[in-house]
Amino acid sequence: MNEETAKSASPIGQGMDYGEQADVQQVHAAVQREKREPRVGAEPLSIWLIAVYGLAVFFGGAYLGRYSGNFSGDALDPYGGEPQAMKKAAGPQGEQQQAELSPRDRGKKIFAANCQTCHQANGLGVAGQYPPLAGSEFTTGGSRRPAMIVLKGLQGPVTVKGQKFGTAVMQPWDKTLTDQKIADVLTYERSEWGNSASPVTAEQVAALRKELANHPESFGEHDILAVPDEDLPGGAPAGAAPPKPGEAAKPGESPKPQG
Amino acid sequence: MNASGIPLKEPSVSAAAADAEQVERALIDASTRVPVLMFYASAMAWLIIGTLLAGFVSFKLHTPDLFSDISFLTWGRVRPAHMNVMVYGWASMAGIGTAIWLMARLCRTVLRYPLLLVAGAGFWNLGVLLGVGGILLGDSTGYQWLEFPHYAAIILFVAYTLIASWAVLMFRFRRGEQIYITQWYLLGAFLWFPWLYAAGQLMLFVVPVQGVLQSAVGWWYANNLLFLWFGAIGLGTAYYMIPKVIGRPVYSYHLATIGFWTYALFSSWTGMQRLVDGPFPAWMVTASIAATILTIIPVATVGLNHHMTMQGYFPLLRYSPTLRFTVFGAISYTVFSVVGVLISLRSVARYVNFTQASIAYSHLGLYAFFTMVIFGSMYYIVPRLVGREWRYASLIKLHFWASVYGIGLMTLMLLAGGFLQGENMENPSLAFSETTETVLPYLRGRSLAGILLTASHFIFAYHFGLMLFGLGRTSTVPTFLNPVEAEGPETHL
Repeated sequence: MNEETAKSASPIGQGMDYGEQADVQQVHAAVQREKREPRVGAEPLSIWLIAVYGLAVFFGGAYLGRYSGNFSGDALDPYGGEPQAMKKAAGPQGEQQQAELSPRDRGKKIFAANCQTCHQANGLGVAGQYPPLAGSEFTTGGSRRPAMIVLKGLQGPVTVKGQKFGTAVMQPWDKTLTDQKIADVLTYERSEWGNSASPVTAEQVAALRKELANHPESFGEHDILAVPDEDLPGGAPAGAAPPKPGEAAKPGESPKPQG
Repeated sequence: MNASGIPLKEPSVSAAAADAEQVERALIDASTRVPVLMFYASAMAWLIIGTLLAGFVSFKLHTPDLFSDISFLTWGRVRPAHMNVMVYGWASMAGIGTAIWLMARLCRTVLRYPLLLVAGAGFWNLGVLLGVGGILLGDSTGYQWLEFPHYAAIILFVAYTLIASWAVLMFRFRRGEQIYITQWYLLGAFLWFPWLYAAGQLMLFVVPVQGVLQSAVGWWYANNLLFLWFGAIGLGTAYYMIPKVIGRPVYSYHLATIGFWTYALFSSWTGMQRLVDGPFPAWMVTASIAATILTIIPVATVGLNHHMTMQGYFPLLRYSPTLRFTVFGAISYTVFSVVGVLISLRSVARYVNFTQASIAYSHLGLYAFFTMVIFGSMYYIVPRLVGREWRYASLIKLHFWASVYGIGLMTLMLLAGGFLQGENMENPSLAFSETTETVLPYLRGRSLAGILLTASHFIFAYHFGLMLFGLGRTSTVPTFLNPVEAEGPETHL
């Protein structure tokens, strides 16, 4: 295909006046032996190559659709969908997001972080070592007794649901957890695993904390049994059912009694 | 017929036409001598400087106390200095040198306006010198491959404008009806570079974009410099050297067209895939990943075109240094691109992002592909400029094998180390210091590879120096890697 170009090369244009230079014919050997300037063939496209193109386009397009995050400017998550929900949840102020978790949900997190190691996620404890919370008379009775135990801890032998415990010591939590957190975790414990006792508020815990301020060490079983099995003052009326899971309640606000 | 059974002699061209072509080529070569050698010599000097800096950087990763009390030899300055010397000093200058020669040859006209190029080379050297000096003195801007301080960047841009205007002028004065594939790539490269460089400079320094978008621009620039500047020059050079040396037309024009345009189309979308899991809208990163997947199209096309051109001529790799370096580079281009696709997929990038594996990727592109192709072209072009043949076949062989083993070992070490590092960083029970310690053996292996590459570069620089000072062989036979039986001087390699 380059036969024409080879012919047209003979009359060399201006600036190519090689006739003047005698030494030009002593061209460097590399130039003399080298092959012609490259040309291009015209082989057709292979069907297999077209198949490769198709695969690449298909895979690239599928990838783009799959991980596009709906092409939204705020979607950091490649799967899309979720970021919209998160955007709503985040709202203008971060605190509102906190508020939308119910006391019970917050309590669940606190329980998982602090209590679950001993009392287990199912609230059944470990036989002979850690007493159960599910169906326990301490947990499901008045809120005063469990609040005392969480605040100051418990040691020595104790009988729960007819079984003896006492090899392990429960640590006091009054230094570690705030009133709000203790109230939340109690609310959770008293309404989970089939328990249905009244919720506890931060104010109630704060009052009890003051009351117990002069009590330095952990309680024993007899200390707990010595106080009446009653709800802490200031809460919802005794026997009121806890809020249903997922129902929102603002922290510090007394939950509305139901039924 | 020689032992390999390949016809080494061109059959079809009439003697008169061949003579005229030879004279024309000789004139063109003579006219390119000064500017091309100027670019090559500067590039070689920068290559040696960059290699020394690289060795230093590599050792500092496993022996951090090395000279740590000298401020301009600290990691944060030496590493960008190494990268910029290699990118702008070595790779760009050598690439421009080759591009000038190819443009003149393919436009079939003696080099016009050589002053533009000489001035361009001068300014370019000045820019790199000031830039690297600025980085070592603590003036780095902190964006990958754009670390040169503003005063150096401006000089570099001026130099570039001179060179690019020369390229456009040369194209304007071209003779012959056909525009060969290599010219597409070279013209593309000469037009894409200012777009990339200006966009990077404008969006990062002149009117800076906000916040995290800066790193999006930064990675877009770095990745596209690799694709659209070095990639285009490298592919263009391979498209010339392979058919030229073996004396056979490129397999298919259609493949070349598809390969070129899809390359231009998809490459410019890439870059953001290096930011997987970063604080970016998911679609930005995903668009880049999808574009990277689509680069398989030009890679398969160009790879097939080169392979089919070479088909039946592979035994020539035994003899021709140019062909051996160029074909190694062309194969590395495919490897580089496939690795690029694999490490950009989200499931893989989760592990290898921000690890040593991305260093392996850059070296695959800039060294195993681009630098090897450019070495090959220098083995072809330099004898035609200085009128001497390469002096020692043994040095060329040493250069080739030291480079191949060096870059191979480095890539393997960094890829394996990168995967391990990424996996350990995903493991929450390992402290960060432990994750870096597990990579140490691989980093030492990389330093070993660095020593091989240093040796290869010193050998080549020595050989190049001999050629430059007229100490090459005077001969009508090119320097083959292995003796060619029977045919003698008529083997057109």
